[in-house]
Amino acid sequence: MATNPLEQFVIKPLIPLHIGGYDVSFTQSSLWMAFAVIAATLLMTLSMRSKSVIPTRWQNMTEMTYEFIAGMVHEALGHEGRKYFAFVFSVFMIVLMGNMLGMIPYSFTFTSHIVVTGTLALMVFLTATLIGIIRHGLHFFTLFMPAGLPLVLAPLIILIEIVSYLSRPISLSVRLFANMVAGHTMMKVFAGFSVMMAASSGIGMAGAVLPLVINTALVGLEILIAFIQAYVFAILTCMYLKDAIELH
Amino acid sequence: MNDKSNELAKKIRAAQERQRQIATDGNDGSGEPGKDEKSKALRAGTDLVAALVVGIFIGYWVDRWLDTKPWGTIFFVFVGFAAGFLNIYRSQTGQDYKVGFKPSAPDKKTGSPDGGNGKTD
Repeated sequence: MATNPLEQFVIKPLIPLHIGGYDVSFTQSSLWMAFAVIAATLLMTLSMRSKSVIPTRWQNMTEMTYEFIAGMVHEALGHEGRKYFAFVFSVFMIVLMGNMLGMIPYSFTFTSHIVVTGTLALMVFLTATLIGIIRHGLHFFTLFMPAGLPLVLAPLIILIEIVSYLSRPISLSVRLFANMVAGHTMMKVFAGFSVMMAASSGIGMAGAVLPLVINTALVGLEILIAFIQAYVFAILTCMYLKDAIELH
Repeated sequence: MNDKSNELAKKIRAAQERQRQIATDGNDGSGEPGKDEKSKALRAGTDLVAALVVGIFIGYWVDRWLDTKPWGTIFFVFVGFAAGFLNIYRSQTGQDYKVGFKPSAPDKKTGSPDGGNGKTD
């Protein structure tokens, strides 16, 4: 009865589709991404429909989310940041929805695939770099040359700075992906313990409650991590944009 | 009744004091490392490895390109390590991935050089 804890991450195509030799099937991952977009849109529009001065619970939640990200953007980017609010907010919502919808039993966590987190991180990275180049032109590349650097050390330091800069999208994507995979695998492993113990007889059957208790706690922890990781993703997006805008 | 509300006021004041403590030095007074320190430590792992991966990747392609196997990889592993430690140094000192050395100005609100952004994992 023991199931493979990694089985939950297998991509299953729902509508097989091949275009030009590429597999572009509509998978369950795509389905949950669509759900995430729909859920975020519905949350934002439906809850704000009444626009009452005394907010309902849903409206309160939406306003809190808005103010949370608006405050974060303002703190990192200052007044200049207003322009980038929509971008940061969208990134935050898609990651948050991906993580949170993944907590629903029988759902699929699309943020547990490095392709997805990698694409998101690369998008953030390229956007920040492009904004930097557009705003500062070639001057942007002085980012890699710290002020007051002795010329003898310049080649080495610039190399290190470039590697450090290029490592951003990797650490950003790996952090989210690893957290999601680790959490969901752990939950599955403990659930597997429960099933195995329940399948045995006598004392094992009674002991099956223990992993269940731990798993209950783990679900709470995972919901916390789902939020924290979305928050981290958003705040690092802000940080990268800040570098591109201010050039330190 | 009055007793109860007094008690509640006392509790609220204590909680506020605790929150302020956490906000100023990331320490909840329990003697254990605060949440900030823990999350910073967790973050250091990915930062170090990511830079190392980039270093090895560049080194590998330099070798393929210039046919200098294995010197490019060896050299760039060290560069990657240096960049990784630079990443860690920056996240630990609250410079948060800023490229180039420049200690950030102290934050007006909390007085920490962190800019209030240290709560990331």
